[in-house]
Amino acid sequence: MNRRLSQAQKQAPWRIRIQSAGMVFLILAGAIVVAALYLSVSAQAANAGLELQDLDNKKQDLEDQIADQETFLAWLDSTTKMEERATALGFERISADRALYVAVPGYTGPKPVLLAPLPGSRFFQDPVIKPGYTQSIWDWLFEGVRLSGNQ
Amino acid sequence: MKSAMLKNLHFSRFQFTGIICTILGFLVVFQVARIQTSAPHQEISKWAGETFGYETKTLTPERGNIYDRNGNLLAGNMIVYEIGLDLQSVANPHTIAEVLSPLIDKDYNDLLAAANIKYDPTTAIYAVLKDNVHSDIVLKIKTLSAQMDKTNPGGANSSQPSLRGLVYTPHLVRSYPEYSLASNILGFFSFQERQNARGYYGIEGRYDQILAGTPTQVTVPLDPYLISDIPTVDPGASLILTINRDIQGMVEQVLNKSVNKYGAASGTIIVLNPKTGEILAMASTPQMNLNEYWKSSELYPQGYMFDRAIGATYEPGSVFKILTMAAALDAGAVTPTTPFLDTGYIEVGGVGIYNWDRSAWGPQDMTGCMQNSLNVCLAWVATQLGNEKFYQYLQAFGIGRPTNIDLSGEQYWPLSVPGDPQWYPVNLGTNAFGQGVAVTPIQMATAISAVANGGRMMAPHVVAAIIQNGQQYNISPQVIASPINEKTAKDLTLMLSNSLVGESSAALVEGYRIAGKTGTAEIPINGRYTMDVTNTSFAGWGPSDDPQFLIYVWLEKPSSSIWATETAALTFHDVAEQLVVLMGIPPDNVRHELQGK
Repeated sequence: MNRRLSQAQKQAPWRIRIQSAGMVFLILAGAIVVAALYLSVSAQAANAGLELQDLDNKKQDLEDQIADQETFLAWLDSTTKMEERATALGFERISADRALYVAVPGYTGPKPVLLAPLPGSRFFQDPVIKPGYTQSIWDWLFEGVRLSGNQ
Repeated sequence: MKSAMLKNLHFSRFQFTGIICTILGFLVVFQVARIQTSAPHQEISKWAGETFGYETKTLTPERGNIYDRNGNLLAGNMIVYEIGLDLQSVANPHTIAEVLSPLIDKDYNDLLAAANIKYDPTTAIYAVLKDNVHSDIVLKIKTLSAQMDKTNPGGANSSQPSLRGLVYTPHLVRSYPEYSLASNILGFFSFQERQNARGYYGIEGRYDQILAGTPTQVTVPLDPYLISDIPTVDPGASLILTINRDIQGMVEQVLNKSVNKYGAASGTIIVLNPKTGEILAMASTPQMNLNEYWKSSELYPQGYMFDRAIGATYEPGSVFKILTMAAALDAGAVTPTTPFLDTGYIEVGGVGIYNWDRSAWGPQDMTGCMQNSLNVCLAWVATQLGNEKFYQYLQAFGIGRPTNIDLSGEQYWPLSVPGDPQWYPVNLGTNAFGQGVAVTPIQMATAISAVANGGRMMAPHVVAAIIQNGQQYNISPQVIASPINEKTAKDLTLMLSNSLVGESSAALVEGYRIAGKTGTAEIPINGRYTMDVTNTSFAGWGPSDDPQFLIYVWLEKPSSSIWATETAALTFHDVAEQLVVLMGIPPDNVRHELQGK
């Protein structure tokens, strides 16, 4: 075997050089792939970061716009405006003697307004993001096995 | 031989190139390592990191909203713009001054001077032209700018019109969509002061800190890899008030009309639920458009008069007799049928006391004394009660101390009691009919609400719920005192209800049984009481058998008539008549019929 190899080297010494060069290029190519992968991932992370920054700014803008629109809606619904519109439509204030009162079974009068959940309420407490986006692969596998076991 | 030489030469060239490349490679690596580890580089890196890696800024939370009891927005936030100039980009200063001057109401020359400021990267980069500009004006400017940009792209031609260089920075400011509605209750937020803005008076003053939230200075990473570190601040808490917008609007209309009609110097009306202490409406004159809060110093030279219902003390006169009679009934000093012979004069502490008309009213019972508002009788009642008990009861009713209503600016006048240097024996007689004692309308309304609520006095309050961190915390009503027992409260309510019917009071509302009492108080001028100018008041509640509202009216110095029966009682009637409809309270017979079902 060794004789054959040394014979081959004597007949074509470039083979060994090509082997060495190939090895160097292979290492180089590997390094380039790793570097490219790293750069790609870094670029993606930076891009995602910038997008998040942008989204965060947009979120702030949207929150401001929501507040602005809520106030604008209140301007449109203000007592003065509503009364003007009601009068224009031919409505008038009712007097006590023209009011008709009826008994509504079960009605106990107006309830206090609820603009947000009360403490202890379950409204909005469930996570909005699906577990698939936050679970690790092990969590996901474990959950899958557990669920299939239950079935 | 030749080929061996060529081979060596060829080899040495390759070797030489390889060595050079290797050395260069090592040099590059060495230089990279050297730069990374050198002290100057580390300093530059540190400086760059500090300067450009993070941005320190103060995050100001959005100010919380204020709603009425039905969720109608009374105070919110809207976007306005700061218009400024990026001095480096200004192309045509004349166009900027000419276009903006009429739109943002600023002098042409001032704008031109600002636009002509020479750009300097260290001292002159940006110039503010005007803040708090409404979005519709900004939209107009942007439209004009876009039109000019079509004919003169980028402002390249400086002789052509261009608005290049204008910068619009949006931010939120306080806005009151109901203008002056409930202005005395809400107070205002001085939004034009930007960083030093704060709440004044009323709700805005009292709850300033929780509405504002906590401004937080944060270091925001500019490095996109550290994006997860971007901090957030919670918005300020929002408040839901006990105020009913419709009732408030109606009460303000009636009040303003009454003040004009009766020629009063000022007026106040409070509508509260005696069972809970919730203020349903509270109006005082004058009201102001809160969006122009800077005019407040003109309207209210004395700041504490911003809300007269809680900030102005006055001698209430005969409405105070409700408390005197409540105390006497509760202590057992008199009963509703106790007889009294009114001679038109009584001496207390060596000083003579007369009736309002200076005449004698003959035989009376306690209901008659209240119906005819006899000072002599009530002074006698107070003497039957005695100093100690009379003042104990007044203190139990909260006279002489603040109600601690959840509004900024409450005032009170200390109650003089026996032993105080300002107290004289005659005070027992005069205090009995509301003279020589000063109260705020809210103190009176709160004290009288005990009579309307079976003897229990509820804490007057304006905030029904607080919304914080996405959750609503409702505020429960609180009993602050029980100055009289339930029987006393019912007896007195019946007495005052009968007395209104007996005198065919103008306060009565058809179909509803109301209990109430007028008060006409002389105003001391130069130390002497005179009937030329009076304070007229009326306190009433209904329906008598199940009180759902209490209305307190105070008109200051009415000129059309000095009497409460001809001013405050009529105002009460106008409010109560509409209030029963807005509150959905059926007439008594219908209510009893419905309850029977």
